Amino acid sequence: MNNTFNAKRFTRLFKKTLLERPVQMFGFTGLLLAVVFIMYVVAKALGGFSSAQNLTFIWGLPVSSCFFASLVFGYFSTNASGSSYLTLPASHFEKWLCGISIAGIIYPALFLLFFRIIDSSFVALFHNSLNPAAPFYKEQFDSVYIFDLNGTIAWRVYPLFFLLTGASFVGAFYFNKIAFIKVAMTIAILIITVVGLNLLMAKMIFGNIVDAGPFNHVTIPVEKEEVSIMVPGAINKIFYYSLSFVLPAILWLLAFTRLREKEF
Amino acid sequence: MIAIQNLSFGYRKKRLLYKDISLTLEAGSIYGLLGKNGAGKSTLLKNLAGLLFPTAGNITVNGFSPCKRQPSFLETIYLIPEEVHVPALTIRQYQNLFSPFYPRFDAEKFSSYLEQLDVKEQGKLNTLSFGQQKKFIIAFALACNTDVLLLDEPTNGLDIPSKIRFRKLISSVFDKDRMIFISTHQIRDLDNLIDRVIIVDDGELLLNASLTGIAERLCFKTVSEFPGKNTVLYAEESLKGFAVVAENTDGEDSKVNLEHLFNAITENPAMAKAIFKN
Repeated sequence: MNNTFNAKRFTRLFKKTLLERPVQMFGFTGLLLAVVFIMYVVAKALGGFSSAQNLTFIWGLPVSSCFFASLVFGYFSTNASGSSYLTLPASHFEKWLCGISIAGIIYPALFLLFFRIIDSSFVALFHNSLNPAAPFYKEQFDSVYIFDLNGTIAWRVYPLFFLLTGASFVGAFYFNKIAFIKVAMTIAILIITVVGLNLLMAKMIFGNIVDAGPFNHVTIPVEKEEVSIMVPGAINKIFYYSLSFVLPAILWLLAFTRLREKEF
Repeated sequence: MIAIQNLSFGYRKKRLLYKDISLTLEAGSIYGLLGKNGAGKSTLLKNLAGLLFPTAGNITVNGFSPCKRQPSFLETIYLIPEEVHVPALTIRQYQNLFSPFYPRFDAEKFSSYLEQLDVKEQGKLNTLSFGQQKKFIIAFALACNTDVLLLDEPTNGLDIPSKIRFRKLISSVFDKDRMIFISTHQIRDLDNLIDRVIIVDDGELLLNASLTGIAERLCFKTVSEFPGKNTVLYAEESLKGFAVVAENTDGEDSKVNLEHLFNAITENPAMAKAIFKN
């Protein structure tokens, strides 16, 4: 028997994972998508289409996937369920693959589909509500468009999704109880520390500063002007790729290692 | 077969719960693992199931290393923890989702065990009482037909009739290819059930012997007068005098009293070790 991967066993595990906690799995998905919908409607009413699309996409993909990632490996809140999960006859790889398939592939795909449906529906509704004979029809029509899932904002959000989801996967194995909250707190502490240290270092080097972005820039006052000193392009790229791709990949793989080494 | 070689384990490296324990357990026996609260009974079971990894030493279960948690190993072992986990599923849904992981699962036997333990189909499992949930898991674990069955405090939460049913069921399902390992501090629940006793205390293995072997080396009797501390392993005042555990030097035939045995071994480990040395 293959102790690493067996398609039949993986299918059983996948089915078991989805159906064992149907209320959490399907209920949670429904709830998150409902929140996405409400958020879109409220943000559209308050700030227009652009705000609604950006806010919903930024909240919906990384944050809700992060929630889901915690749930899918959330067996360690009690001794009994943790033992039951770890002693279930399936390999570590299958358990890891099952978790990341649900929270890292299926849920985001479902979100993207749902987002595209509500976004295109609302945009279509808006376009249909316009009077083609009215003045500025074309300008009004062109002012609202479907969110580009391959655009600049989307490509800034995707790495964030991989990063937060990876952190959540790892956190589920490190923090047994209320893992999501602990992961969120850890990330917040990490961000505050990095930003704080960066500011402190910038102040030590430049003295008087206006602003400093970690791995990005320092803004200093020069006479009556403010001047930003940017990190050189090549170094900035290293930071960008490290944070966007290397670190998420490490986190996703670290989740597998943690599962293999998990003692409970 | 379970082989434990020089096992040391501790939740902290500097405070070991077990120090250099070696033990061999063969199939075809029901083992009773006895120990005080906090002696590490559950910890030992978790080491055997691969939930905890030894700090030093080696464990092999039927040739597998438990800490690798390979599916082919996990199919052959079932651990029932003290607190059981049941999802919000009906009995049949649970069976459909979980039994395919155990190739030797027997659906007919499962129904029969449920009946014998008086577990009825009453909606979702998580709405059942703790005792009912535990009996359900016991029935499921037995139906999985694994080579090794580890039970951690299985009678906790069971009422008196259920404890009797549990004992009957364990005795009836037992066969020579199987090993059942029961950890408990409720010693009386193991009466007439186990055939080998393992006693652990203070990080040490104090006893690993069959009931026959114990009866050959120790005698359990009631005497009218207190025989003196140095001549017995254990003495307890009773209605008819003193219940004592002493070395069986005259080949007396007596029934092993597990509670007295436990007290005798834990109170006089050095003397007990000397008696069971050869």
